[in-house]
Amino acid sequence: MECKRHIKAKKLSCISLIAFSSYFLLSLTACSGEYVGVSRADVLRYQTVPTYGALHELATSYAQSLNDAVRVDTLHPGMYAEYGVALALMGHTGTACRMLNAEMKAFPESRGLVERIKKRLMPDMLFDTLATPHDTANLAQLASWAYDSITALKPLPPVAPVIDSTDSVWISQQTPVDSIEYPIRLTATQKRELLEKQQAEEAARQQHVADSIAAVKQATIDARKQAQADREREKKEKEQARKAEQKAREQQREEERKQKAAQREEERKRKAAEREEAKNNKKKN
Amino acid sequence: MESKHHNRTMMLSRVSLLVLGSYFILCLASCSSQKKLDAYSEIYSERPQVLYIAPLNDLSMRHAFRTIDDSIYNLSLNIAAKHLYLSAADPLIRHGYYLPGPLASAQIAATEWRTGKQLRNDDIKDYYTDLGIDAVLFITLHGWNATYNTWTVEVEYVLRSARTGNELFHVSVNAMKVLNTDFKGKLLPLREDVDFARRYGCDVETAQRCRLVEILNQYVLKDLPSGLKARQHTTEGYIPSHPEFFNLKIHPDGSVQMLKTELYE
Repeated sequence: MECKRHIKAKKLSCISLIAFSSYFLLSLTACSGEYVGVSRADVLRYQTVPTYGALHELATSYAQSLNDAVRVDTLHPGMYAEYGVALALMGHTGTACRMLNAEMKAFPESRGLVERIKKRLMPDMLFDTLATPHDTANLAQLASWAYDSITALKPLPPVAPVIDSTDSVWISQQTPVDSIEYPIRLTATQKRELLEKQQAEEAARQQHVADSIAAVKQATIDARKQAQADREREKKEKEQARKAEQKAREQQREEERKQKAAQREEERKRKAAEREEAKNNKKKN
Repeated sequence: MESKHHNRTMMLSRVSLLVLGSYFILCLASCSSQKKLDAYSEIYSERPQVLYIAPLNDLSMRHAFRTIDDSIYNLSLNIAAKHLYLSAADPLIRHGYYLPGPLASAQIAATEWRTGKQLRNDDIKDYYTDLGIDAVLFITLHGWNATYNTWTVEVEYVLRSARTGNELFHVSVNAMKVLNTDFKGKLLPLREDVDFARRYGCDVETAQRCRLVEILNQYVLKDLPSGLKARQHTTEGYIPSHPEFFNLKIHPDGSVQMLKTELYE
């Protein structure tokens, strides 16, 4: 009996300890900050430095998370729209429109938001709310609708196979995603263009840095030269002023000397005249 | 011998039960007594489904550029502010609300730009009529503070209905994160912070700020009632809600503790 009680008590203590530790762990993990779907690191990186390369990385991340979400059926709100906006910013408006339409279809409450985004990013595709894998899809959809609705078209045998061939997956598609992969499919030309664009961006950045450094250096050299020229000009001006002053002083001195010589001459003449006059007076007396 | 062992086991079971009970009681006591059904009655009556997070209203001070450290500090605050905005969507999406992502939100913000004051006071019905948004959440970052081993951030969350213009949710939080120090007094960052820094390619100081605001967002916005799509929407009304003003303390072991402020009392 005692042994049974002992086992019961032991069990109880174990269960309560497990419950306590699991509750504590759960409370800790609830605060660990998991992310919904996409990698916030890529979003943060793009928002901090919004370059084309960062946007491409972000779009790839969105594509991967969208693929995973579709595969395991954990589609979060806004995933299609985010990927669509990223593609639209990169210039892939056709696929972007498809993604935004898929968002509207998966989350009908997002219609107003998605229409505003389409109006801003691709106004020419505002009313294109069909799934459009290629340019002729709308036409094919219209033809399909006409074939279904207008009975006069039914007996025409050549129309049906044409429409069927055009409408392979997309027109009969009810759900926006089933087994569709969403990587960014780049052709060789697009890849080359992307690489060239990134290289051009990097080169432009480096050129900008080099230009800035060269401009600063040139400005420093110019400033030094200017200061040297100013100093020399000042020195020259001072020299000229000093020379002019010296010349003026010499001229003045020369004039003074001439004046004194003239005075002396006058004095000498006056004295000679006086002497002459005195001699004449003596002779008269 | 067996009896002694039995007594010891019984004592252990009692002690563990007591610890568990006291922990639950403490958890319940730390929350306010107001139930979600009363605190968020307007959310339950309006049942918003589509939310939109307006661009962050960042009122925190930056350093004037004198040395390179000032620019590093400012960059760190900028990244943390961006992370505060980006990580606010996760708890709401998990609660079953529809929210546009950051890129889509940026496009909407470019066409529907409002200041924090306008969002708080003006008519925002066109968000509902034009865009189908039921409520707008705007977050105001009031400031950062750092002492010896504590990081502090002051954030205000306001959720306003675009249909009626009523305030559905208004919380001001002063969150602080305490770090351990070694015997020399050097700060020891948490393992999660170091992982975050490695994952995001930023320094540990920025990671600490980012993790602080992330935990804060999780804690505050998790308190909102679940959206219409969530199955807890009708059953969680009797869970106690957070008060309107509170301090949040994040301990070095990762546990979060809510402290009521004097303003609330």
